Amino acid sequence: MVSVVALQLGLVARGYWSDHKEFAFQMFPESSTWRADLVRVTADGRRVPIERPWSGYRWDELVTDRGLSYPSIRHHADAGLENQLAFLGSALDWVASNTPRDRETRYLEATVTSWHNDDPPRIEVLRSPVREGGG
Amino acid sequence: MNAARVGAPLDLRALIGAFDDLLGRRVSMRALALLRVLAGPAVLLHLQPFLSDAADGRIYRDVFYQPYAAWYPELPDQVYVGLLWLGAAAAIAMSLGLLTRLATATTFAVVTYNLFLSTTHFHNNRAYLVIVLALLAAAPCGRELSLDAWLRRRRGRAALDLSAPAWPLWLLRFECAAVYGASGLSKLLDPDWFGGTVTWQRVLRARDDLETWPLPDWALSLLTDQSFHTGAAKLIVLTELLIAIGLWWPRGRYAAVWVAVVFHLAIEISASVQVFSLLAIAVLAIWAVPSTRDRVIRIDPTSVGQRRWGAVVRRLDWLARFRLEPAQPGSSLEVVDRDGTALRGAPAVGFSASRLPLTAWFALPALLLPGLRRTRAG
Repeated sequence: MVSVVALQLGLVARGYWSDHKEFAFQMFPESSTWRADLVRVTADGRRVPIERPWSGYRWDELVTDRGLSYPSIRHHADAGLENQLAFLGSALDWVASNTPRDRETRYLEATVTSWHNDDPPRIEVLRSPVREGGG
Repeated sequence: MNAARVGAPLDLRALIGAFDDLLGRRVSMRALALLRVLAGPAVLLHLQPFLSDAADGRIYRDVFYQPYAAWYPELPDQVYVGLLWLGAAAAIAMSLGLLTRLATATTFAVVTYNLFLSTTHFHNNRAYLVIVLALLAAAPCGRELSLDAWLRRRRGRAALDLSAPAWPLWLLRFECAAVYGASGLSKLLDPDWFGGTVTWQRVLRARDDLETWPLPDWALSLLTDQSFHTGAAKLIVLTELLIAIGLWWPRGRYAAVWVAVVFHLAIEISASVQVFSLLAIAVLAIWAVPSTRDRVIRIDPTSVGQRRWGAVVRRLDWLARFRLEPAQPGSSLEVVDRDGTALRGAPAVGFSASRLPLTAWFALPALLLPGLRRTRAG
């Protein structure tokens, strides 16, 4: 009993620094919003918007969860910005490594504009690892 | 060395002993049995999108997902889908109370396995569901409100003891309060939240939706006014914290439960929270005093109205608060509370309605009426 209580209190405390805040029960933490311009950067340097299907893939069919399907539209970051951007970064990595028919993309890149509550916008760039055999 | 220091280890031992006694004391499992019944539909609602995707030939790993750990076992597609269906069947059996312990443990195992398959599966309501299922699986809560109990009676076997050590109930109470406390504390410590910026910004962004609601202009202006949110945010934060604290305080418990129901209904209307509202309201049942049939309703069998009220109580007394006894013909309906206080007539009806899960929310404010308060005081 004591160990479960301690574990729960530890998880609540962990919620203040972890991205995903498991069992920390921080509900509706922010009013932050975000949007991102996602591109595929090909071997020959082209930057192709992710909204265009490629090699039989579509971003909104590959990434269906956590409000990431249509990144160019400004969205509320449901569980906070840190959580949302952590998911976006992981989604870039996942798509980069789970699209075997794509032989031209070197990496995926997201230029993210985020608004933490009513703070001024912040811009940052997220990139997937360079794909093996991409181009 | 002074006397206080000599006494300290003994006091600590006494404290640990009292704590042990509290956790080991046998109490009624009725509230957990009721929660078990209500948790089944929450599990089905939770599994529905996974099953729907599976019916469309898609499971979690066909789209973006992120395992928590590389070593976490992943099942072949068909086995995974089968497991989800097993979880749904187990949830139904859990609610019905058929092979209750096995069904509850299976439901817990399936929901937990599925939650930890991917970080994308994680939501606060699902975490709460896992905690509730874990404690239901740990508690012998299938000995009443269950097909198991009914089958046992039919076979002429003696009923099992309906009481059990209290620790699962206390642990679930702690978790329930922790949910409100953690949520309130995170908002209290965030200047943007406590200052009203977060709610104000959210309402401003939802202004287009708000304008489709049948709200008068003054209400719309109020809701989009920043100074309103400066106060409203503090009220929200304090409400969450007061629920967390009030649930532990016997005199404040009914108020805390009442406010919590309002709070969850407001959240359900204004946000998409999956099964959180249903689950959180159901869990509030565990704050009922864990003893049963310790209040008496005396009913005049010759009075149609009293007989009807008796039938209502029999049907809705899911927490087994009342023992129904016949009264002398011509006497008015009487309720005798645990402390021996007797209420008669309308106050007795109001009081008994305030102790039935389905009517409590409507009847509890009536207990504040001066007439009823005077009657109880007398």
